[in-house]
Amino acid sequence: MGTQPRAVRAATGGDLADEYFSQLLDRFEQAATAVGGAGRLDLEMAGLRLRVRHAGEGLRAGLLAPFEHLACPPQGDPDLTISLFDTASSGIEPPPPPWDPIVAAPGTNPVARLRSERACVLAAAGSRGLTAALPAEGIAVFHLPDATAIPASERAAPIREALQLLMAERGRLMTHAGAVGRDGRGVLFVGRGGSGKSTLALSCALAGMEIVADDYVLLEPDSLTAHAMQSTAKLTEDSATRLGVPAALIDTAGFEPTLEGPAKALVRIPSLVPGRMKRRITIAAVVAPALPPLSSHLFASTAKKDEVNGEEGALRPMSAAEGLRAVAPSTVVQSGFGGEGSLATLADLVRRVPSYALELVSDPEANAAAVDRLVAELD
Amino acid sequence: MSEPRFRIGPEIVHETVDGEVIAIDLTSGSYYSLAGSGPAVWELLVLGVSEAEIGAALADRFEAEQAEIGPAVSALLDQLRENGLIVSETEVAVERPALASSDEKAPFETPRLERYNDMKDYFLLDPIHEVDTAGWPRPAA
Repeated sequence: MGTQPRAVRAATGGDLADEYFSQLLDRFEQAATAVGGAGRLDLEMAGLRLRVRHAGEGLRAGLLAPFEHLACPPQGDPDLTISLFDTASSGIEPPPPPWDPIVAAPGTNPVARLRSERACVLAAAGSRGLTAALPAEGIAVFHLPDATAIPASERAAPIREALQLLMAERGRLMTHAGAVGRDGRGVLFVGRGGSGKSTLALSCALAGMEIVADDYVLLEPDSLTAHAMQSTAKLTEDSATRLGVPAALIDTAGFEPTLEGPAKALVRIPSLVPGRMKRRITIAAVVAPALPPLSSHLFASTAKKDEVNGEEGALRPMSAAEGLRAVAPSTVVQSGFGGEGSLATLADLVRRVPSYALELVSDPEANAAAVDRLVAELD
Repeated sequence: MSEPRFRIGPEIVHETVDGEVIAIDLTSGSYYSLAGSGPAVWELLVLGVSEAEIGAALADRFEAEQAEIGPAVSALLDQLRENGLIVSETEVAVERPALASSDEKAPFETPRLERYNDMKDYFLLDPIHEVDTAGWPRPAA
């Protein structure tokens, strides 16, 4: 780590984060000019109108395709605006960061964060994504070095930080959960990465249920609504095999194992289950999937059937406190800040709807059947 | 001579649901469940109290003698301190909280603190480095 300041210093009387935001937005405008004008995609997300402006088509293809299912016609001023640019397409560099570079160990993505009352700047050292936002004003800028080499983590959950910051300001909590249901009502799948949320959510969708997300939703607590974000799902090779996902639908480009666990590939949910991806669902219960103890190898086996557990995943009612323990930690620790509000929101959720643990069995259809039955039985 | 007072640590977020406290340490990702009579102690810690005040308040609230309550409180405070869930501060011009008393006493259950570390990976994967106004990274503690 160097010792010389390499910052773009705040203008007199200004604030470093505010100043960095202004400069990054200015660079976006330069990038848009350099590529002959910004394109745009208007989305309806979580009941808000979001306009994404992009300097060049590369970022649209690489980052915005997972949001196309939320596209809507442009109409008036949007509630939120996010502007995207990359240096390779435009030749425009972002302003030098006001901090020393942070070295990312392989498989990690350390983030430098600079905050003021008005602005927030986040620089991810691993993915090299740079986000600057004015949350209260509903605007953000996002930069990547090269639209043709978008890191897998960014393709899996594009512009996640910008969305999290802007949505949180408007009472939508980005929640680490999947969501499925029937006729607009359903359940949230909660738990840390690797707990089986994605596989279970896709199992349910393949069994005919509606799906909102496999991994992240925007939770609107007053109405108990889980809103859709990106349409990508992440699956391990084993899960893809057990679900029978056609190889042609799996995007494996650049997805490498991380410290979190085995490598996961991306699958576009609308391609896998056309017509079943929904914009939102009302939450009637929280479900925490659990892999059977000491049986990850057994669970992974496609040959071995459920000799112990019977035909269907076993559902067990949990206390609200257990439900909170399942839903809150990964969302709260990923929220980075605003943790207190996030925890309070999730506590309110588990006080209002019942929580269940679902002990998974190796047959995806059996797990989906247990969820489907629960949704049918919920008031 | 004043006793130290204890309060919840600044990086701890917490909620009480169904008589169980769920607390998350935002600096480490560890999270905790506090049950038994522990949530009654936690309620007092939110206000900022001394060990003696906790003991007195619990004796007023639970069917148990100080001989039972005292060591249980002491052990819990040690655990909470070791895990960074509470901080102590010397009593200087701290307004004493008004502690609620109770007419009906409940059975005393030894406080139970459980720690969960399964979120640590997230901190290994995406650690946040706060950057201060001088423009230098300040790694999370």
